[in-house]
Amino acid sequence: MNKIIIGIAALCLTLASCEKDNYDGPDSGLTGRFIDAESGQLVEQDIIRGTQIEIIEHGYDPVTPQYLIVKTDGTYENSMLFSNTYTVKPVRGNFINVEAQEVQITGRTTLDFTVTPYIRITNASITRSGDKVRATFNIEQNVINNVKKIGLYAHQDARVGEPMRQVAAEQQLNAVADPAHQYSLEIDVPSNSSVLKSGRAYYFRIGALIDVGEAKLNYAPAVKVDL
Amino acid sequence: MKKLLYTGFTGMVVLALGCAKVLDLEPTDKLQASQIFSDPQGVKIYMANLYSQLPIEDFAYFRQGFNQNGGDPNNGGFSAAMQTDEAVHTEFGDFIGDNDFQWWDQGYKLNRDVNLLVDAIPLLDIRDEERAALIGESSFIKAYTYYALAKRYGGIPLIKNTQQYNGDAEALKVPRSTEQETWDYVLQLCDEAIANLGESNGRRASKWIALALKSRAALHAASVAKFGSRAPMSGDAVSAKLVTLDPSLANGYYQQCISAAEAIINSGKFSLFRPNPANAAEAAENYRMIFQDPNGAMSTEAMFLKGYTLPGNNLGHNYDIWYQPAQVANGWPHPGRMNPSLDLADVYERYDNPGQDAPIATTVDGNVNDYNGYSQSKNYIRYDHPYDIFNGKDARLWGTTILPGTNWKQTPIIIQAGYVKPNGEAVIRIKDQVTIDGKTYYTYGAESTSQYSGFDTYGGNNTRTGFSFRKFMNQSNPIVPGWNQSTNDFIEFRYAEVLLNYAEAVVESGSGNTTLAEQVLNSIRHRAAHSTEVSLTSENVQRERRVELAFENKRFWDLIRRREFHTAFNNRFMHAILPLQDLRALPETKYIFVRVNVPNSNPKTFEPKSYYRYIPGIGTNGLVQNPQY
Repeated sequence: MNKIIIGIAALCLTLASCEKDNYDGPDSGLTGRFIDAESGQLVEQDIIRGTQIEIIEHGYDPVTPQYLIVKTDGTYENSMLFSNTYTVKPVRGNFINVEAQEVQITGRTTLDFTVTPYIRITNASITRSGDKVRATFNIEQNVINNVKKIGLYAHQDARVGEPMRQVAAEQQLNAVADPAHQYSLEIDVPSNSSVLKSGRAYYFRIGALIDVGEAKLNYAPAVKVDL
Repeated sequence: MKKLLYTGFTGMVVLALGCAKVLDLEPTDKLQASQIFSDPQGVKIYMANLYSQLPIEDFAYFRQGFNQNGGDPNNGGFSAAMQTDEAVHTEFGDFIGDNDFQWWDQGYKLNRDVNLLVDAIPLLDIRDEERAALIGESSFIKAYTYYALAKRYGGIPLIKNTQQYNGDAEALKVPRSTEQETWDYVLQLCDEAIANLGESNGRRASKWIALALKSRAALHAASVAKFGSRAPMSGDAVSAKLVTLDPSLANGYYQQCISAAEAIINSGKFSLFRPNPANAAEAAENYRMIFQDPNGAMSTEAMFLKGYTLPGNNLGHNYDIWYQPAQVANGWPHPGRMNPSLDLADVYERYDNPGQDAPIATTVDGNVNDYNGYSQSKNYIRYDHPYDIFNGKDARLWGTTILPGTNWKQTPIIIQAGYVKPNGEAVIRIKDQVTIDGKTYYTYGAESTSQYSGFDTYGGNNTRTGFSFRKFMNQSNPIVPGWNQSTNDFIEFRYAEVLLNYAEAVVESGSGNTTLAEQVLNSIRHRAAHSTEVSLTSENVQRERRVELAFENKRFWDLIRRREFHTAFNNRFMHAILPLQDLRALPETKYIFVRVNVPNSNPKTFEPKSYYRYIPGIGTNGLVQNPQY
């Protein structure tokens, strides 16, 4: 009998310390788009090693910055943030630097960035003729730096880009681009037969990199091509 | 009342008893600092401990850190070379992770241990020259420590003296110095070591070793300054100059490298081991001998060795069990992990085309950029032996790797990826056999897993690049199938490296003695049986460095300091060569070769942030983090 009483007492003591002391989980989020100031279009990005948005939560010191990644189409969303004031700044992007801003994030907060991309790829066309996939395009640059390289990238995934490609045809320019010149790049399918299998569809995307430290490539939207 | 008195009295007795010093015991199982440092013998033992902590990237250095040969040494044999373009592992496809090659806590622990000794040196009852030697040695160890920290983290807190804890933890926090101040401190410590150390100190640090360290450290700093713009960085650490160096500093550091290396060269104390081989075969064997037992080169080329004396925990290493080919595993279940890459093999010069990379052509058209695999329509060059395709390549390729069909421990090492059947169909990397005219042929060149060393995925024991590993391997004795059984020494400072440091500093800075630089560059090539001299160019120096110092854990830092990692590894596949027996040639025995991406591998990409490691524990130490971590 005594044992049972002691047992119950012990159990009560144990349970008494079980008060719920968890913090609430993150209940807010930040979402938005990168919009070309001139054309009003979304600014295409890389899914890996692409533009990042640095957010620094206020009220902690020292504080480790968090980085949000941006989707290939130029939109982003992180729905697991704590409600607070943050300093938000896109970093290491493919557009002219934007200033940091303070943002009160509560609920699903929307924040669009209007930016000037380093390079605009216009009149882009990707077509297959026979064994070749050929891309033609014009380059319009918004800074005076050289264009480092242009490239045509292929991958079986739609999120293709320079860092995520199975085949690339690149050309080192290292010169200021001529807006009137039509650039063209070509991927030969048979000479990449171990990767580009005929009968399958692959995504091709044109990219161009400006010669600015830590800059990322600018892109035209990916195009699906049946081989 | 009485009760109260008793209680009070008892209480007083207890309290009074507590005042006796019964609890202030000197521990009997630990020595006090004063006891160690009051005795020169104690200082020697303490010094031995400091040496064992030196950040030497040797046989026990892996991504987890230094001295991975105690406790549980099973890390799969994933060496630092596999995170460069020198090699791949048979199984792992990993690349550089954030937590790899960290050395923060251990670095500052070693720094504190040295500082404690430095505090004690003036109090020791020893002769003046012994005191100078101790000061020199502590400066050397400290320089080494800060060199290893600086190349990982950039600018770091410089704890120049022992810190005392006075109840205020905040007072112990030291902010980061700039990267420039840090490198300058490393070089200043080197100078202190050089000034105090003697000419010779047995196997311990001497003036020459300190000079060699200085040439290495100065070259690193100079390269970061010169090539930093290849990989621009941004962030708080960059704005505060905690990482990166201004390009204008490059020549000053190159100059320091030049003068340190020149002092060693002009001393005449060191020379290359067996500098005049009669032929390439002899050169290959000489080169291999340096590493199998560096003690043979002790008075010539091997300047500073880390010794491995006894089999067992912390005293032996595991290179032989991890890296010798499967055929000689001698019962050890996990051999063959080191697979030198075709990319490296391509870099070795051909004797008939000096001063050029010599990619190995496998087809008549000589296309070395085709990695699409075997095709009946391609015209492959046929060879009589599986190693003939490598004839005429630099002896060091033969001394560094085990090539298909070459002998190792009197055993021909069979590395074969498959065969081409008489009808032209190839069977590659599939266990198969075919009988033609009463003779059976096997895809892997032999019947059972114990008889070949290539391409079968069995146990992860067989190379998947076409090359196995020779450099550092012990040819004399059978493998002892157990942990930490290898006891050959590691050369940390080798005269050839000093010569290459010199040549690089001269060619990159455009100052110094170019004649001497060209001469020392060619002396290394001459030792490898080259008879044609090459000119002093950046490209020739880098090629020479890659082939001469391959697998000595230098390549990783060369790619870091010259900021070549992110361009060398941008979505990069490593490459392999598949030796196939061509049964179309029967009854003749002929082999063909196919260049491919390493089977079952993924492309590798270097993240520019990895040019610096992240600093652990910024939440408590309050330091500025490195960019992008």
